[in-house]
Amino acid sequence: MSYQFDFSFLAERWPDFVAGAWLTIQLTVLSIGLGFLVGTVCALVRVYGGAAPRRLVGFYVEMIRNTPLLVQIFIVYFGLSSIGLKLSAETAAVIALAVNMGAYTTEIMRAGIQSIQRTQLEAADCLGLTRLQAIVHVVLLPAMERVYPALSSQFVLLMLASSITSQISAEELTAVANNVQSDTYRSFEVYIVVAVVYLGLSVLYRFGFWAIGLVLFARKRRLGTAL
Amino acid sequence: MTKLLRRRVLAGLALALVPGVSAHADTLDDIKKAGKVRIAIDTAIPPFGMTDDKMQAAGSDVDTAQLLAKDLGVKLEIVTTTGPTRIPMLQTDKADLVISTLSITPDRAKVIDFSLPYADHPSVVASLTSVPLSSYADLAGKKVAVVRGTTQDTDLTREAKGAQLVRYEDDSTMALAFASGQVDILATARSLLPAISKKNPARKLQSRITMQTFYLAIGMRKNEPKLKDWVNGWVRTNLQNGQLGAIYKKHHGIDIPVDQLLKAGS
Repeated sequence: MSYQFDFSFLAERWPDFVAGAWLTIQLTVLSIGLGFLVGTVCALVRVYGGAAPRRLVGFYVEMIRNTPLLVQIFIVYFGLSSIGLKLSAETAAVIALAVNMGAYTTEIMRAGIQSIQRTQLEAADCLGLTRLQAIVHVVLLPAMERVYPALSSQFVLLMLASSITSQISAEELTAVANNVQSDTYRSFEVYIVVAVVYLGLSVLYRFGFWAIGLVLFARKRRLGTAL
Repeated sequence: MTKLLRRRVLAGLALALVPGVSAHADTLDDIKKAGKVRIAIDTAIPPFGMTDDKMQAAGSDVDTAQLLAKDLGVKLEIVTTTGPTRIPMLQTDKADLVISTLSITPDRAKVIDFSLPYADHPSVVASLTSVPLSSYADLAGKKVAVVRGTTQDTDLTREAKGAQLVRYEDDSTMALAFASGQVDILATARSLLPAISKKNPARKLQSRITMQTFYLAIGMRKNEPKLKDWVNGWVRTNLQNGQLGAIYKKHHGIDIPVDQLLKAGS
């Protein structure tokens, strides 16, 4: 085995990698934000909603969790444009990723919400909190605190999964890697570089979520202790 | 596996790996003596080579091979091949000729011989009937679909600076992007245009700019002067009498530029 590593393409192509990583960050931050909102609302519906809305959310969650992300992306990008709704690759990617994220968030948040006992809500009623105040402060924040590790893992997974949006021509990090690889034939080196960049992004995201957690859950409490 | 058997298998492998240095006097004589000509064709690139609904080999390269065998007065044996194995088929003496969208390139000419060109194979920029284009400058600011890493991708990246290239991973994804309305312009081999247009009859493609023209030729082993002369004569005759043109027209729906081909070959 005498393989000559050659990373010289980096000198010329590093701005492409930066642009690709930046688009990956934009795509994923947007879809994580949107997906979290969708998922949280759906989780509340799934726990407290009426029979019909609950079944509807259940259908959405199972449809998304049991089909491949790539198929969902193709449906949004090729399917919608066939019926006249022409979205750019980036918009289609954000929509598909957010819909996907929403389904997983629903299930994670549902677990958190179900861990809040009814008596907590009754106590909130006694203290004269409005329904909204009770849901935000008594249900959602403590629920999120409990499932926060699972939630942030799912966010990082979504960032890694965003690599397949290169299939619909979104010029994110993996697409850039494929371009450089097809120009230079240095596939081994190119994918090593990209793996390192993804690793860096993951560390960055995990640090970010940890910092957000510090702000959101100011009273530090050990996981699993009674609320 | 016994030791003896293993040794036999290894010996067999070693023989198979020795390139075609066998003492062939003359392939043309051998073909006539055997009563059959072995022609390598890739049958997975319609409309050049494909398998029809009766599971028979079909396509313009298949018809060309059949015509050649008939004129040679021998039976045709199709050796199925793939793009990357076309030349090794000749080198290892598994085929006498290659008729398989084989374009003439200087690199290939170092290892095999080419006949006169029998068809052209241009790359084109094509667009929706309602989107007129006449030069690379017209592409500025427009979305143009290509397959990542192809010659069309490289050429447009260099030549059409203002164009917004949309890169897909393969021909079928690019075709889908056009058929579903994501893009109105694409750059690809001209031979693919009818198939892409067929995907969605409401969106017809029209070829606008010719980017690069390759010439397709029949490939054969080096140092076969008799075979080469015969094949060249056959190509010239059948270009002039229109038989090769008719085959191309039947499968591709367009005429081949006979004069241009004859000139390119001389």
